[in-house]
Amino acid sequence: MLVWHQLKTLWRNFARKQGVEADLDAELRSYQEMLEDEKAREGAPPGAARRGALLELGGIEQIKEEVRDVRLGAGWEGIWTELRQSLRGLRRNPGLSTVVVAVLALGMGASTVVFSIFQSALKPLPFRDADRAVELMETRLDRGMDQVAFSQANFWDVRSQNHSFQEVAAYHFDEANLTGDGPAEKVRFIQVTAGFFRTLGASPVLGRDFSYQDDQAGWDNHVAILGNRFWRKRFGADTSILGRTLRLNAKTYTVVGVLPPGEPWIDEQVYVPFGYRSDADRGSWEYFVIGRLKPGVSPAAARTDLERIAGILSRDYPKEDKGIGFRIEPSTTWIASNTTRRALWVLLGAVTFLLLIACLNIANLLLARGMSRQREIAMRTALGAGRARLVRFVIMESLFLSGFGAALGLTLAYVAIRTIQTMEIRGIPRLPEAGINSWVLGFSASIAVLTGLLSGLAPALQTPARGIAAALREGDRQTGSRGQGRLRAALVAGEVALSFVLLVGAGLLIRSFSQLMTVNYGFQTENRLFFSVSMPGSYWVNGIGKQFLDRLFERLSAEPDVIAAGAVSNRPTESADPGMGIDSSSRRSDPRPPWAGWRIVSPGYFRAVGLPLLRGRIFDEGDKPVWQVRGQPVPDRRVILSDRLAKRIFPNEDPIGKHVLLWKGQGDADAEIVGVVGDSRERGPASGPAATVYLPYGANALAGEFVLHTRSYPLALAPRVRSIVASLDPNLPVSDVRSFEEVMQRSVAPQRFNAILLGVFSGLALLLATIGIYGVVSYSMSRRTSEIGLRMALGASRGNILRMTLGQGLRPALLGIMLGAIGAWWLSRYMTTLLFAVKPFDALTYVAVVVLIIMTAAVACYLPCRHAMRTDPAIALRIE
Amino acid sequence: MPNATAALLQGTLDVLILKVLALEPMHGLGISRRIAQITNGTFQVKPGSFFPALHRMEQAGWLSAAWGESENHRRAKFYRLTAAGRRQLKEETNQWARISAAMAIALETP
Repeated sequence: MLVWHQLKTLWRNFARKQGVEADLDAELRSYQEMLEDEKAREGAPPGAARRGALLELGGIEQIKEEVRDVRLGAGWEGIWTELRQSLRGLRRNPGLSTVVVAVLALGMGASTVVFSIFQSALKPLPFRDADRAVELMETRLDRGMDQVAFSQANFWDVRSQNHSFQEVAAYHFDEANLTGDGPAEKVRFIQVTAGFFRTLGASPVLGRDFSYQDDQAGWDNHVAILGNRFWRKRFGADTSILGRTLRLNAKTYTVVGVLPPGEPWIDEQVYVPFGYRSDADRGSWEYFVIGRLKPGVSPAAARTDLERIAGILSRDYPKEDKGIGFRIEPSTTWIASNTTRRALWVLLGAVTFLLLIACLNIANLLLARGMSRQREIAMRTALGAGRARLVRFVIMESLFLSGFGAALGLTLAYVAIRTIQTMEIRGIPRLPEAGINSWVLGFSASIAVLTGLLSGLAPALQTPARGIAAALREGDRQTGSRGQGRLRAALVAGEVALSFVLLVGAGLLIRSFSQLMTVNYGFQTENRLFFSVSMPGSYWVNGIGKQFLDRLFERLSAEPDVIAAGAVSNRPTESADPGMGIDSSSRRSDPRPPWAGWRIVSPGYFRAVGLPLLRGRIFDEGDKPVWQVRGQPVPDRRVILSDRLAKRIFPNEDPIGKHVLLWKGQGDADAEIVGVVGDSRERGPASGPAATVYLPYGANALAGEFVLHTRSYPLALAPRVRSIVASLDPNLPVSDVRSFEEVMQRSVAPQRFNAILLGVFSGLALLLATIGIYGVVSYSMSRRTSEIGLRMALGASRGNILRMTLGQGLRPALLGIMLGAIGAWWLSRYMTTLLFAVKPFDALTYVAVVVLIIMTAAVACYLPCRHAMRTDPAIALRIE
Repeated sequence: MPNATAALLQGTLDVLILKVLALEPMHGLGISRRIAQITNGTFQVKPGSFFPALHRMEQAGWLSAAWGESENHRRAKFYRLTAAGRRQLKEETNQWARISAAMAIALETP
């Protein structure tokens, strides 16, 4: 009741201020009139009555002022007045205010950018009870493989035999050509088991989920569910899409649902049911599997349950499932891997440091100004402002500055995020979703308040630094006690220490990135063009695809700008990495045969991509695919190995002419080695040289990633390539046209992003620290102008003066370097997983950072010193 | 009018206003005159402290105010005690009784 009454009163005092004032006015007037009446009744003449009344009333304005003071919320009005005052103060000193706001805007802008990326990357998944959703993988730990995809038969067995999952579902990735209804388009075409979306905890926003009937054997209703983005892009978010038909790979599917937006798993283009087959394959690892734990079942319990199934499988199917195990990945790592998380945390830590440096810097600037404002403060104190009020005033000022900084920083952050998004950096999850949302605004507001308090703290506590009388007497002379000088030097040391840590972090990342860029790829990336052509299923029968490839190579090679043309089944660094166990066929069975990636290639591939032939020969027209055609005899299988793999299997022998078993333990196909080519970093620069088996292309082994070695700028050929492909078959989409250099660059985009961002942050940090040192030195120089004049008049050389100044400026810098080195040594261990071929304690980086800081500090000292020495001693002495 | 007008003790004015208004709603001048009357002129209420006190008590919810007509047909603001004001008066009366008793004992002790 009372609280309600007070809230109402408070509201009235603020919102209806004029009404309240008028009421008070009327009340006082009526009081005065009644007083007059009283006096008149007592017999006073009208004039005297009026005078008497006014006399008894006292000053009407004073009464009003006192009434205003007791109103609820009156204290806030005082704050408002002070705010206006501090705003005036800031306007009076526009140079300083601009510098402070700019520094803060940079610091806060950087933190806001990183926070918004961080927030969008690590926000929760769009699924119900996502903590119960897990990904399942097979393992073959005896062969050193800690995660492989499921085979279809193993999936059905896990699904039927487990006791720990409410639901288990599989996902098989494919690509299909969408034809009719506009231009041909390659779409990502996903086969999922019926319970897939229920397992995730996602429901269609439109239409229905697949029913369990949809994946019954022989249930041949071709239905499809569309991904949200594809639905918007291709069909303009048409809600009448349900019931429409799509032609995919020349088969007709009816659309029955549309998924909600979000990722992972549900952001592909078209989903179709995946029929149960009793004759499912057990050897081919192609299926991603997810599960939803039953309520109350822990991942550890589920793991035990899966181990039991692994035991049954390896006993029942020793040929395919010997050594099988299972692995469970929680859904938290689906979007951001642990390395990505680590990188984001490092960046967030870095911006926190940057912001701290900005705070220290501003504290320093405000302190400097506080000293020149001693007179004003003394005056305020003399006029009755209490210490609390002065502190509040100073804090309010720095809050104001940080508020402006935050507003400007938000604008900067908005622009920066948009710019980063246009750079299409792979490896930063959900980057397109990053933006200024309510979380980011909240973050920005809270760092504004924190920064304001933090940077205002030191100046605020300094306010009544000395006796009022002394301050007033000293007048406008720029003075400051020794204690203040020491405080400022300590702040500078802190800035240097934080900058040191940032510079070391950036240095380490930049060093490892340059290592990454200079590793030997094995490939030649210069003047190479890559493009993808996706071929429909019909290309795999009657040799149509083989004929198409040969005609395409012929046409491409005829181009004057093309030196060599070839094709491979998987583009280096970008696509999936199919693999097999492989071993010498003559040796007794090795319990842990080598594992190698396999690629189908055309003979021209090696020349086109610049892989040197080391021994033997390249494939020719006589070499046929290793896959047996139904009804035909087993082919003469011939393969080419990468150097590393050949040496591993035949350490001290010539491998040419030797035989190996392909898909060791999963099919054991015997093949002859005809050649050995150079090693390459097939999985990107950050992984070591890959062990690879190259298989010849042919009618049942097509390769859709094309590479051209060109004479000039490769991308100039892109339009020609498109028209050649279209002239052979207009229904084939050409996609992902990129130079090989770009392909490689894209694969290290996250590392580059981290290095650049941390580089920029540490550059800003160094700049701020330099400003700090410059400020301290130039302030103390201006204080000592007369002293310097005296010294010079008495014969001190410029060198002496310079040494003195340098000593003064470098002392806090050296202290900061020492603290920073300890901090960096302590913190850089958290970066180990982000480094490539660089140790966290990299001497080169540390030395470079020390040199850099000392040099900048020396420059920051030299400038004010030069200014001081230029002053004529006669003038300098008179300055007192 | 006695010369020795006592300075109002902190909180005295509040309890006097509450006491006066406990009988009937009253306008400002009325309250002021009644206080002088019931304290035998010991307390002369100065408008400079009287109005702030009235407004503070109104904002606290002890009094409610409304415009009305005075006995001499003037428009005047009348204050009345609220339920919260009555509770406050009771509390302050008890407190004053304790204080004055304690003070009396303290001062009479030789």
